[in-house]
Amino acid sequence: MSYEPRSMIAQAVNEVEEVAIALILGLMTVVTFANVVARYVFNDNLLWALETTSFLFAWLVLVGCSHMVKINAHLGVDALVNTFSKPLRRALTLISAFACLIFSLLLLKGAWDYWAPFAELQPTTGRIIPTGIADVRGQGWYEVEDIMMPDALNPFLSNLLNYGERYEKIPRAIPYVILPITMLLLVYRCAQSLYWVWIGERDLIIVSHEAEEALEEASSQAPAAAATTLDKGR
Amino acid sequence: MDVVFLFAMIIGFLLIGVPISFSLGLSSTIFLMLYSDSSLASVAQKLFQAMAGHETLMAIPFFVLASTFMSTGGVARRIIRFAIACVGHVRGGLAIAGVFACMLFAALSGSSPATVVAIGTIVIAGMRQVGYSRDFAAGVICNAGTLGILIPPSIVMVVYASVTDTSVGRMFLAGVIPGIMAGLMLMIGIYVTARVRNLPRGEWQGWGEVADSGLDALWGLLLIVIILGGIYGGIFTPTEAAAVSAVYAFAIANFVYRDMGPLRRPDGKSRALIQRPLSPITVLVHPDTKAALYEAGRLTVMLMFIIANALILAHVLTEEQIPQAIAAAMLEAGLEWWVFLIVINIILLIGGQFMEPSGLIIIVAPLIFPIAISLGIDPIHLGIIIIVNMEIGMITPPVGLNLFVTSGVAGMPVMRVVRAALPWLSILFVFLILVTYVPIISTWLPTLMMGPEIVVN
Repeated sequence: MSYEPRSMIAQAVNEVEEVAIALILGLMTVVTFANVVARYVFNDNLLWALETTSFLFAWLVLVGCSHMVKINAHLGVDALVNTFSKPLRRALTLISAFACLIFSLLLLKGAWDYWAPFAELQPTTGRIIPTGIADVRGQGWYEVEDIMMPDALNPFLSNLLNYGERYEKIPRAIPYVILPITMLLLVYRCAQSLYWVWIGERDLIIVSHEAEEALEEASSQAPAAAATTLDKGR
Repeated sequence: MDVVFLFAMIIGFLLIGVPISFSLGLSSTIFLMLYSDSSLASVAQKLFQAMAGHETLMAIPFFVLASTFMSTGGVARRIIRFAIACVGHVRGGLAIAGVFACMLFAALSGSSPATVVAIGTIVIAGMRQVGYSRDFAAGVICNAGTLGILIPPSIVMVVYASVTDTSVGRMFLAGVIPGIMAGLMLMIGIYVTARVRNLPRGEWQGWGEVADSGLDALWGLLLIVIILGGIYGGIFTPTEAAAVSAVYAFAIANFVYRDMGPLRRPDGKSRALIQRPLSPITVLVHPDTKAALYEAGRLTVMLMFIIANALILAHVLTEEQIPQAIAAAMLEAGLEWWVFLIVINIILLIGGQFMEPSGLIIIVAPLIFPIAISLGIDPIHLGIIIIVNMEIGMITPPVGLNLFVTSGVAGMPVMRVVRAALPWLSILFVFLILVTYVPIISTWLPTLMMGPEIVVN
């Protein structure tokens, strides 16, 4: 029961997600490689390289985790639930999907509360359930450590977040903006997954044995490959 | 008592079918909300910092990517040909060659399931053709594939080094001799079985074929030289070595082997670079490149989301001073080092059956590391013990990644793979005992190459 996009929109969204994941990983590789080349070929050190890759790494995983909920690729233990009767398994999977939704909601609140001050916005009050809007001083002046601020962005962003004072490094609001965005996506995908379990479209919310089906496809092509290898061996 | 509640929550969630990552994260968050004054914002920050704050863990996506290029790029096929040329002619030769190929591929990839998929898809089908039973083939490859995390590079070692602040380079070196030993033990086991059961043998194809196939596979095998040489030569950090190997694997797959990308022709032959002079540029947007990047990205996210949530849990445990409490209790009980090693073997073997290796290491390593150090156990030795336990965990149900993968590759039910893997598992068990009580197997090579290590507690 692997994921198949049904509508044109779903297909387009899926493509966007896949390309985003591929692109971020590609960028990480290129930047790290460029740093090695810079060091040995140009005797130079790209100061911003390490921090940029670290942020991209975080972006990759955060962007990816909601995609993984959608395509049902998170790993889990299905040994016990598979021994249960269908109705019981369905009930437990509903509880599981609900638990995931709760976790994503908690993370969304946490993500917003963490990011908002960096962007001169207000976090929510309340410890677990948001009860209102806080009134705290913004922390828009916080900068990252190594990534220099491009001049083109300076007037706009410094007016927006830093009372007109120019940034030397990029403000922290930029890398961390991914937190609220991706956690919102995660909430959406978890809700969707709960809905799919509810209408009986999805049996379990973990990958486990479904891996077999995907691999069976791969192995159906294997004999041909094996034959060529063995032929070459002869 | 609170901690018992925490672990009960995790296990409860796991058993009703919540994904591992969510079980760890949700339980830790609930615990923090109930028993500490941490905010949800700090949980979100931890999640972000799990990636952004651990430079060593960044090696994981690059190693996964290198191994993806190597798998799609036909390196596995060349390695198998070389392995068959070397040992295919002895009794049980194809099975022994399968183990040998797994060892070689393990030196290019940092993960066990990847090794099983790359080698297993070809070798299991090949073994069936020449008359091995399906169970025999699956059992052998399923076990040999676990060497993926023992022979460097290894994703699980990167995780261990990262959480315990040991050197990745040392861990990698420490895996070499145990990895070769485990491989040889499996080969001997196969050879004995083959003599007894009179299993088929291949024909000796001469030194020409060995040289020919060796040269063909050489481009792929150079990868391990780049990784190990680069790290020990002090040329790059492990993370950079991983990125360089990913770029290298990309170049080899697209421009030397040409099994993917713009120079591949649908009929299986390849084009010369001159026929597609723009290919060094077009390859960047080629669908094969995107597919490999996406595939590697997906695997990375799966692993890292578990690791990130395990790091939240590890943070909770440290904040509650659990490691110190356990260490104190164990030391007070007057625990001998050899008893302690039995205890951690048991904990890890049980844990390894329910958890994915990297996640388990993140949770368990901080708990046992301080105790091990105060008992005088070498951190590198401890690391190798943990890795070998994880190998066994990968081929024991219910969560044995290698089992799932093998069952897919061999097209047989998981429980049958479990039974098929069982006889060879006993070899790994003997190996585990050996590694546990003979520390020099793990520590000799790193000490030789990098000098004695300084243990700072």
